[in-house]
Amino acid sequence: MKSLTAPILLAALFTATATQAHDPSLHKNKGEKPKCEAMENMDHSKMDPNDPVMQAMMKKCMDQLHEESDSAGHHGDSHQPEK
Amino acid sequence: MKTIRTLLFAAIAACAGLAAFIYSGSYPVGADVRHTAFTHWALETLRDRSIDRAAASIEVPALDDPELLLMGGPDYNDMCTGCHLKPGLEESDLSVGLYPAPPDLTEKAADPRRQFWVIKHGIKASGMPAWGPTHDDQRIWAMVAFLQKLPDLNAQQYQILTARDDDDAGDHH
Repeated sequence: MKSLTAPILLAALFTATATQAHDPSLHKNKGEKPKCEAMENMDHSKMDPNDPVMQAMMKKCMDQLHEESDSAGHHGDSHQPEK
Repeated sequence: MKTIRTLLFAAIAACAGLAAFIYSGSYPVGADVRHTAFTHWALETLRDRSIDRAAASIEVPALDDPELLLMGGPDYNDMCTGCHLKPGLEESDLSVGLYPAPPDLTEKAADPRRQFWVIKHGIKASGMPAWGPTHDDQRIWAMVAFLQKLPDLNAQQYQILTARDDDDAGDHH
């Protein structure tokens, strides 16, 4: 019985690892934040507001700006400057 | 009757010769030795015709949704760039070492039906895995949407669209 413990544990570990292998949350914190400051240097006159790429970039960077403002103490329920 | 007997003998001899060749181990299977022109043509044609046939009936959804780009971009960056490259990365160990060489997806957007089918089902003996067993169709279509835009992205646009920040677990829905 004792000799079966190691194989059973290995099989259980393998099964647990396999089921988690493609869990999207495993990618969490793996990447880097979007470098939205690059958008400031782009020629805005050549940007097409209907371009899905531009819309996606704007959404991504808006999310980041919201996060930064939230972390700086500016919450979404008030846009008034702090006094 | 004599002709039939001759043809039968020739067919048996050809099968025996093929079997002898297979068992001899003389065909080089190393990825650093190229196929002969005939083998290359046969395998490429077999692959392309098979994908064309299998993908012909796939219906392509609308791919111009920014949300799809934001979902597919990080997945592409995590799972595909090692072989299929990205803006600013012209080669990698895998893109150089694999044979057949994986296509550089930053160069030209292929038919979205083919892209969907290949991502979902993979390709035998090529290094391309089947992502279908672990990724649903929506997630694969998001990668296809991103691939359709990839050749037109510069490095800055690519970085923004593929960044997976702290709150982004890869599932936007």
